[in-house]
Amino acid sequence: MSWDYLLVQVTNGAVIGVIYALIAVGVTLIFSILKIVNFAHGDLYMLGGYCAYYVIEYGGVPPLAAMVVAMAALFLGAMILERLMLTPLYSDATERKDEYGLIVTFGLAYFLRNTAVIAFGPFPLKPPSFIPGVQRIGNVIVTNDRLVAGGVGVALIVGLLYFMKRTIWGQALDAVSQSRDAAAIVGINAQRFNSFAFGFGAALAAAAGALVAPIFSLAPDMGVLPNIHAYVIVILGGMGSVGGSIIAGLLLGESENLFTAFFPDPTRAFAYTNAFGVLVLMVFLIFRPQGLFGRRHLRME
Amino acid sequence: MRGLPIAIVLAAAALALANAGRLNPYWTHVAIIAMYYGILAASWSLLAGYVGLFSLSHMAFASIGGYTSALLIQWFRLPIPLGIVAGVVMCCALGGAIGWVCLRMSGPYLAIFTLGFSEIVRITISTEDEVTAGMAGLHTHSLLASATRLPYLYVAFALLALSLLLMGLLVRSRWGLFFRAIREDEQAAAASGVAVARCRIVAFAVASGFAGLAGGFYAHYIGIMTPSVGDLDEMAKLLVMTVIGGMERLPTAVGGAFVVEFLLEWLREYGQWRLPVFGIVLLLTMRFARNGLVTPFWLQFLRLGEARVSPLSAAPTVPDKESGT
Repeated sequence: MSWDYLLVQVTNGAVIGVIYALIAVGVTLIFSILKIVNFAHGDLYMLGGYCAYYVIEYGGVPPLAAMVVAMAALFLGAMILERLMLTPLYSDATERKDEYGLIVTFGLAYFLRNTAVIAFGPFPLKPPSFIPGVQRIGNVIVTNDRLVAGGVGVALIVGLLYFMKRTIWGQALDAVSQSRDAAAIVGINAQRFNSFAFGFGAALAAAAGALVAPIFSLAPDMGVLPNIHAYVIVILGGMGSVGGSIIAGLLLGESENLFTAFFPDPTRAFAYTNAFGVLVLMVFLIFRPQGLFGRRHLRME
Repeated sequence: MRGLPIAIVLAAAALALANAGRLNPYWTHVAIIAMYYGILAASWSLLAGYVGLFSLSHMAFASIGGYTSALLIQWFRLPIPLGIVAGVVMCCALGGAIGWVCLRMSGPYLAIFTLGFSEIVRITISTEDEVTAGMAGLHTHSLLASATRLPYLYVAFALLALSLLLMGLLVRSRWGLFFRAIREDEQAAAASGVAVARCRIVAFAVASGFAGLAGGFYAHYIGIMTPSVGDLDEMAKLLVMTVIGGMERLPTAVGGAFVVEFLLEWLREYGQWRLPVFGIVLLLTMRFARNGLVTPFWLQFLRLGEARVSPLSAAPTVPDKESGT
């Protein structure tokens, strides 16, 4: 195993980690506000990728602008879905809300994935590169697409952190996630943030989908694995902790790529990389359900 | 006159079995697969509908049951029924272990944990292809030395009836009451003296055992096991069936499995469109008829005998509908 190979794996791991973090932050946001785990998040990510693809193909829009269009489209689309399907979650007449949220988002995932097969076809599609070509640093070769995906991903995460910490809307969002009642007392309309959080999470997933599209390709089932990865990250970083999700995303991206590099049997390394992440998830759920950085008030039980 | 609905069910079953020979091979096959899903839907409703343990690893247990049986028969030349029993025992043990491990998990955490378990099972089965033949599929021995499918239909029916009988007895016993108490409020149940931990483990073990039974039968009926038997698409299909039927009663869950499976085959000419349509039906069911679409008919059916007496005296017996399963 050469030093250069390791460096390539570390670079790829960082890029994938950023993308994972974008998806996982959405899951965490939705969980902390709506108190449900969104099982359709991977499919929103898939829709974001396709949306960007069609905007580029038929609108002639440059890829990065297409990403913004996809984010806006998914933001609105997800808010509509939330209004149509998830409002019973906030009514006291609904018993067992956990169960309702689970079945509805799982059903939504089933619906979106099977509709995507019909609407977009089962064959992988590949949008054009952000910037064609590769960068060479020493012996390490990285494609421009990966650099763009990593860079834009980091910019989005920095923007998100700024939004959460420094703007009034972000702080209100944080307040609602900590205590709905206390937030209502200080005059925050908590109901409004249900739609907003769902749309916001979907927009982040859409950005991830649009960024990943030129690197891997688009397929209707592309959301399944990232969805599970998002759960690994969310559990690792602590349910409801945005900062924890970002760190855990990078951690998972890196450790998976190094796991692939060091796994003794190369023919099986790739398959077991996914199992490795899931195993981490299960171990954490058993022994440390609040994750590495979980906030106490969002702990299980 | 509580006996009337039971008598009607028995008569209908006898009539259906007596005339099963008239079905063409294709619809015989559909009926067998519907019964396979019927066992799975009933056992999943036991877990998710009665105890409120929303497990997403049910199809993974079906696949474990099928592979265990197929591999043991291949290695040790066991008789096939013994292989299926071994698969059931394996699933009971593993299911109990999973139930024990996630005792402290509730709602979404349990769902994520079992989703993870089912992914690990699928990945391991498809990657260890020297043992399981991976994606190519593992060839299994046929259960019956029969050229036609009719005998399989009888076996599937017997298994479904046996499963429903055993699960029905469990659900009608004190355990069933404990299960529903845990579903409504785990802490209140524990405070009232229900051994929550024991109930959760038993429910997981029993439901997984029946999933293993269905998987074992499927393996030796179809003749090939692939990792996709236990994948998430299958799990989603099972969820669609159970929820559309009504997940809080065993017969309605089975009814959902039958209705969805027959409709899926009957509407085959519409190709891929069937699947998202069932997704929409599921979402509408959850939104507007959370007890399931089969449940109202079933409750009406259960009241058949009572309505005969007199419309007026039937009124006080209305609360009885809640105890009818």
